Amino acid sequence: MRANTDLNAHTENIIYDDKIVKYFSLATFGWGIAALLFGLIAALQLAYWPMNMNMEWMTFGRLRPLHTNAAIFAFAGNAIFAGMYYSTQRLLKARLFSDLLSKIHFWGWQFVILCAAITLPLGYTQSKEYAELEWPIDILITVIWVVFAINFFMTIKRRREKHLYVGIWFYIATIITVAMLHIVNSIEIPITPLKSIPVWGGIQDALVQWWYGHNAVAFFLTTPFLGLMYYFVPKAANRPVYSYRLSIIHFWALVFIYIWAGPHHLLYTSLPEWAQSLGMVFSIMLWAPSWGGMINGLMTLKGAFKELIQNPVIKFFVAALTFYGMATFEGPLLSIKSISAVGHYTDWIVGHVHSGALGWNGMLIMGMMLWMVPRLWKTELYSVKLAENSFWVSLTGVLFYYVSMTVAGITQGLMLNGVTAEGKLMYPDFVETVTKIVPLYWVRAIGGALFVTGYLIFIYNMYKTIKLAPKDAPETVVKVTRTGWDEKTNDVHRKLEGMGLGFSVLTFVAVLVGSVIEIYPTLSLHRYVNPEQTTEPFSALQIAGRGIYISEGCYVCHSQQIRPIVAEVLRYGPASTIEESMWDRPHQWGSKRTGPDLSRLGKKYPDMWHFQHMINPRAITPNSIMPNYPWLVEKNTDFLSLRREFSVMKALGTPYDENTIANADIIAQKEAKILADELHKQGAPKGLEKKQIVALIAYLQALGQKAKTPSPTTADNK
Amino acid sequence: MKQEGLKFFTDTYLTVIGFLIFFSYFVFVAVNALRAPKKQIQQLAHIPFSNEDEHGK
Repeated sequence: MRANTDLNAHTENIIYDDKIVKYFSLATFGWGIAALLFGLIAALQLAYWPMNMNMEWMTFGRLRPLHTNAAIFAFAGNAIFAGMYYSTQRLLKARLFSDLLSKIHFWGWQFVILCAAITLPLGYTQSKEYAELEWPIDILITVIWVVFAINFFMTIKRRREKHLYVGIWFYIATIITVAMLHIVNSIEIPITPLKSIPVWGGIQDALVQWWYGHNAVAFFLTTPFLGLMYYFVPKAANRPVYSYRLSIIHFWALVFIYIWAGPHHLLYTSLPEWAQSLGMVFSIMLWAPSWGGMINGLMTLKGAFKELIQNPVIKFFVAALTFYGMATFEGPLLSIKSISAVGHYTDWIVGHVHSGALGWNGMLIMGMMLWMVPRLWKTELYSVKLAENSFWVSLTGVLFYYVSMTVAGITQGLMLNGVTAEGKLMYPDFVETVTKIVPLYWVRAIGGALFVTGYLIFIYNMYKTIKLAPKDAPETVVKVTRTGWDEKTNDVHRKLEGMGLGFSVLTFVAVLVGSVIEIYPTLSLHRYVNPEQTTEPFSALQIAGRGIYISEGCYVCHSQQIRPIVAEVLRYGPASTIEESMWDRPHQWGSKRTGPDLSRLGKKYPDMWHFQHMINPRAITPNSIMPNYPWLVEKNTDFLSLRREFSVMKALGTPYDENTIANADIIAQKEAKILADELHKQGAPKGLEKKQIVALIAYLQALGQKAKTPSPTTADNK
Repeated sequence: MKQEGLKFFTDTYLTVIGFLIFFSYFVFVAVNALRAPKKQIQQLAHIPFSNEDEHGK
C-alpha cells in the first residue's frame, strides 16, 4: 500500500488506485456498445427475421443470450466494478488492498467476457438464463469473483474510516450473494470440454435457476447500483442522503426479502403451490423497501431543482431513480398470479426488464461516468450540451421501447387467453397473435436504435473528455485521517457498522434464510412425484436432439410448460406435471413464448412437417417470424459424447440400463437411420442419418410422449 | 382462478416460519434504526464528504 505517515499519527498521505477504475470505465464504454448493438440486431430480427443474414451464430436463439450476458456482465459488470472501486477507496479512506489482485480481476473478467462472446454464438450453452456459460467459464468466473472478494474485503480490513457507509453494505451484499447464487446454480458435471449436465433436474433445476435468475437481477443489477446511487447521487448533488435511517431499513429489508421472490417466475407451473404463493407474497412485500430506496434517492435531490435543469448528471440520476421506481412497482404487480396469467411469457416482461436495464442501470451508469470520468482524468467534461443530447435521445429510446413492449405483451397475452362463450379459443392460430404485434416490434427497434444513438453520443463525449486530459499528470496525494476507532457505543447497529466481518456474516444469514426455506423442501422430490405417473427418459437419439435444441437456443422462444389456465389447456393440452420434466437436465420450461409452447408437440405432425418447418417455417406457416435453420441439414450430430452423457445422467438418477449407457452412440445412430429412411420416403434427401435435423426431429416428436399415463393430445400447436 | 385462493399456503408450517422470521427481523431493524442517536446518523450520512480529493471539475 502506498502510504506515508504524517507527523500526526492519525493522518496519512495516500494515493488511490484510480488506474484500475479507468480500466473498468473504458471496458464499460466498449462492451456497452457491443451489448446494445447485439440487442438492436436481435430486436430487428423479431421484426424482420432475415436480419440473421442466414448465419447460425447470429440467429436469435444464440444472439439473445449473447446480448443478455454482454449487457449484464460486460456492460453493467464493468461499470459496477469501476464505481465500486472508485467509491470504496474513498468511503474507506484506503487504497485498494492489492494492485496485482485488481489487475487479475480486470483482465480475468475481460477474459470471461471474451470466452462468452466466442462460445455463445457457437452454441455452447447450458440454456439457463443469465447462466448460459459452460463449466470451464463458470469455474473461471468463480476464481475471478474470489479475487475480487479478497481485494474488497481486505480493503475493508485495512480501512481508516471505521464505520461502513450504506453504499459499502450494498457492495458486501452483492459480493456474498452473487457468489452463493453462482456456485449453487452452477453445480454441474462436465461431459466434454464445453458441455456439462447440471445436478439439478426438472423442478429442482427450475427453482434453483429462477432463484438464481431473479436474484442475479437483484444482486447484480440492483444492490450494487443502489450502493453506487447512495454514493454518487449525494456527491453529484453535493448534499448527504435524504434519510440515513431509511437507508438502514431499506438495506436490511431489501436483502432479506429479495431472495424469496424467485418463484414468481414460475407461477402456474408445476412448482408446488406453497412455493409459488410464498414467492408472490414476498414479491409484493418488495414494493416497500424498493420504494424506500427510490424515495431516499429522489428526496436527496429535494431543493435541487436548479441543478436538475442545469446539470445533465442530475438528469440521468433522476431518470434512473424514476425508472427504478417504475420497474420495482411493476415487478411485484407482475408477480400477482392473475396478472402473471396475462403477462408471463409475453413481451410485457421484456418491456419491464428493459425499463430496469436501460432506464435504471443504463441511465445510472451514464450519469455516474459523466461525474466520475472528468475527475479520474483530471479534466473537465468536454460538452454539457452533448451530455444533454445523449440524455434526451436515450430517454426517448427507453420510452419507445417500454411502451411498445408493454402494449405488445398485454395485447398478445389477452389474445392468447381469449376464450369464447362456447369454450373455444378466440385466436386458435398462435401466429395470428404474433402478426398483430409485429408493428410494435418495429417501434421497439426504433426505441433501441434511439438508445444506441444516445449512448454513442455519450461515448463520443467521454472520448473527447479523456482527450482533454493533461499528459503525465501526477497522481493525487490525499490526506486521510483515521476516524471512528476510539468511539465507544452501546447502540447495536452502530457497533455493527464498525464490524466488517460481523456485518458480512449477518448479511449472508439474511440471504440464506429465504434460500434454504424455498430450495430445501424441493430437494426431496419424492414428496411431490406421483410414482404412478413417472415418465420414461428420452432415447439416445432424442437426447442427442435435445442437445441441438439447447444449442440452437430454442428455449429462448418456446416454453415447455403448460399452465393450468383454460386457454392454455385448450391450446396446448393438459397442464404440465412435475413428473413430465423430472429427468430434464437442464429443464426446458422457458420464460418467453415468441412461438408456441412445445410440451406436447410430439406426434402432432408428421416427421416431414418438422423437416420442412425447420428448413423454411414460412412454407408451413406463412406469417411465421421463426428463422430458417438450413445448417441443420448440413451439420453432423455429435454421437460420440452420448455414452458419457448417459453415464452421468444414470449417476444422477435417470433410469437407464447398462446396455443403453454402453452403446448410446450406436443405438442413437440406429434410431437415426430408421428416421432418416422414413424422411426419405416422405420426400427428404437421402442420407440424412448423421445430420442434426434428424436428431432434432426425434426429440421434438418425443415431447409429451413419455408420460406413463398418456395425456390426450391437443388442439392447436401452430 | 378465485378458487385457487383456497389452495394457497398449503405448506402452512413453512409459510408461518418464513413470516415470523421476517417480521421479527424487520421490527428489530426498524427499532434499531429509529433509536440511533441523531448525531451518529448525521456523521454516517456525511462519510462521502469527509474525504475530498476533488482533482477534477
